[in-house]
Amino acid sequence: MLHLLGVNLPDQKVVSVALTYFYGIGPLTARKICSQLSIHQQCKLSELTEGQLNQVSGVLSSMTIENDLKRQVAANVQHLRRIGTYIGKRHAMGMPVHGQNTRNNSKTAKKLNGRMLRRYSTTTNTAFNLQALGVLRSPLSKGL
Amino acid sequence: MLRTNRISGTIAQKAKRILVNGTASGATARSLSTTRAALGKKAPNEARAEARAFTQKERGVKSARSGTATVVNLEDANPEYYSSPPNPTGLLSLNAKTATYSNTNRFMQLDEGFLRNLGKNVYPGNLASDFKMFGRPALLYRDATNDLVQQLLTKRAEKGSSKASVIDGKAGTGKSAELLKLAAVGASSDYLVIYAHSTFPWVDSSRPYAPGSDGTMYVQHELTMELMKTIHGMSKAALAKVPLGKEISFGKRSLGSTMTLLDLVDFAVKVPSVSQDALDHLLEIASKQTEVPVLIAVDDVNTLWTNTLYRDQNDAILPASRLRLPSSFRPFFDGEKAVERGWVVGATSYKRSLFMPQELNSKLHPAPKVPVANPVLAQDPTLAKDTAEAAEANRLSFDVIALDRMSTAETWALMNFYHKISVISTPVTDALVAKKWVTASGNPREMFNSVTSYF
Repeated sequence: MLHLLGVNLPDQKVVSVALTYFYGIGPLTARKICSQLSIHQQCKLSELTEGQLNQVSGVLSSMTIENDLKRQVAANVQHLRRIGTYIGKRHAMGMPVHGQNTRNNSKTAKKLNGRMLRRYSTTTNTAFNLQALGVLRSPLSKGL
Repeated sequence: MLRTNRISGTIAQKAKRILVNGTASGATARSLSTTRAALGKKAPNEARAEARAFTQKERGVKSARSGTATVVNLEDANPEYYSSPPNPTGLLSLNAKTATYSNTNRFMQLDEGFLRNLGKNVYPGNLASDFKMFGRPALLYRDATNDLVQQLLTKRAEKGSSKASVIDGKAGTGKSAELLKLAAVGASSDYLVIYAHSTFPWVDSSRPYAPGSDGTMYVQHELTMELMKTIHGMSKAALAKVPLGKEISFGKRSLGSTMTLLDLVDFAVKVPSVSQDALDHLLEIASKQTEVPVLIAVDDVNTLWTNTLYRDQNDAILPASRLRLPSSFRPFFDGEKAVERGWVVGATSYKRSLFMPQELNSKLHPAPKVPVANPVLAQDPTLAKDTAEAAEANRLSFDVIALDRMSTAETWALMNFYHKISVISTPVTDALVAKKWVTASGNPREMFNSVTSYF
């Protein structure tokens, strides 16, 4: 397995297929990367030279993929919610966004939508934690 | 449940009775406790022999699982099923001396040294399965083969550029086989043979490629180097006879004018990065000289005009004209270049229709010209008309050698050979030959498939 930019790529796969293991790269983008670097279609990842691997890394580094892309998508959805758009509200409610019917179906939307808007606290300054520690403060007091 | 309990109870009682009273044979009874101990302690199972049917090969190597070999004692085996591989004897070797009309309709063996140059178990077209069935690389010397050989010998004697020729015919008629035989005869004589046995790897994006120095053309160094190796192996003596005639420089290294084509090919094999330039020089010098006759044989010649599966750096499909390797041979078939002494031959292939350009196909197989009786339709501009302009547009830049079906005599020779190597067990009769010829329409591939369909 080749480890490239935080992703384990299978060695025996064809390059254009292996590149799709990156979040944000599909078959078309993978093919374009191979064309740009003159990598033939049936070339396997194990057949690439070090120079070619460096070139692939260079091209991938210049693209928005993996965590950067996930962050970007989440930020876009949060922006839509923040400015109070219809789409933002649909994300917040966990309902379909693109005008689908909700009388039936819409199971996927209810499962997946809005996950970028849910906030999970990682600090200890919640009311529950403070009460447990015996440090209950008035919710109006600042400094929490 | 009750029944089984009753049964088990009955068996237990019986066992007790036997133990107490002794067995029927009169053996002494054991005490119940020892018997219980004996029954309770199960006989240890023999360690299951680790007889895995499939063993995984070590990691890192291809993880193919292999089965254990089944060893068959051939002394006891059914001789009709387990037969030794065929080993036809008495076959003449195909070379310039044996390629005569008197040997027509005989199976002749191809030289092993010649075939070794193509690569290990690498044969053009579908011949690999044929040779495996025959036990050795042998082909039928047909009338068509004799015609081609006679043309080859004629071109050898003549000096002056001539048109290229392309062997065309339906799939399975033996185009690749004819080209292979021609190359074998040429290699055995004093020809400088440049034989590309398969050009599909040139265009199907299976081998590496790289942009050239000019940016528009692309090079395939690995494929070119393999071609140079083949040329080196087949025509060492002929290459050594042709001087370069001019100084050729490849960067820091240069080859003097007194050096020969053999030095050029040697250099190209050692330095793959210059193999394409070396091939261009080789073709230029070889085509212009008249010291030795030159045979340029290209199988799957239709790939020279097709769109390839390669893409350029803007992700646009590359036509074959933008690859330097096919572009080196295309001018010979387009009529732009010619060999002064020798012959340029190609063979089409319909194995992969993706690489048969529509334009070339329509020129090779033009629609029948039927006079249009309807006066209204006759004025339709979209209908193909038999005019001088249309004829000129559809004219091919090479001669077409149509390879037709096998004759009955050839079919007879084929069936005799199949009978000799035990591919068919029935004796060869007129009826069998006629049946095979009619059902296969004289197509050798279909005949082969019909006799091996149960293999």
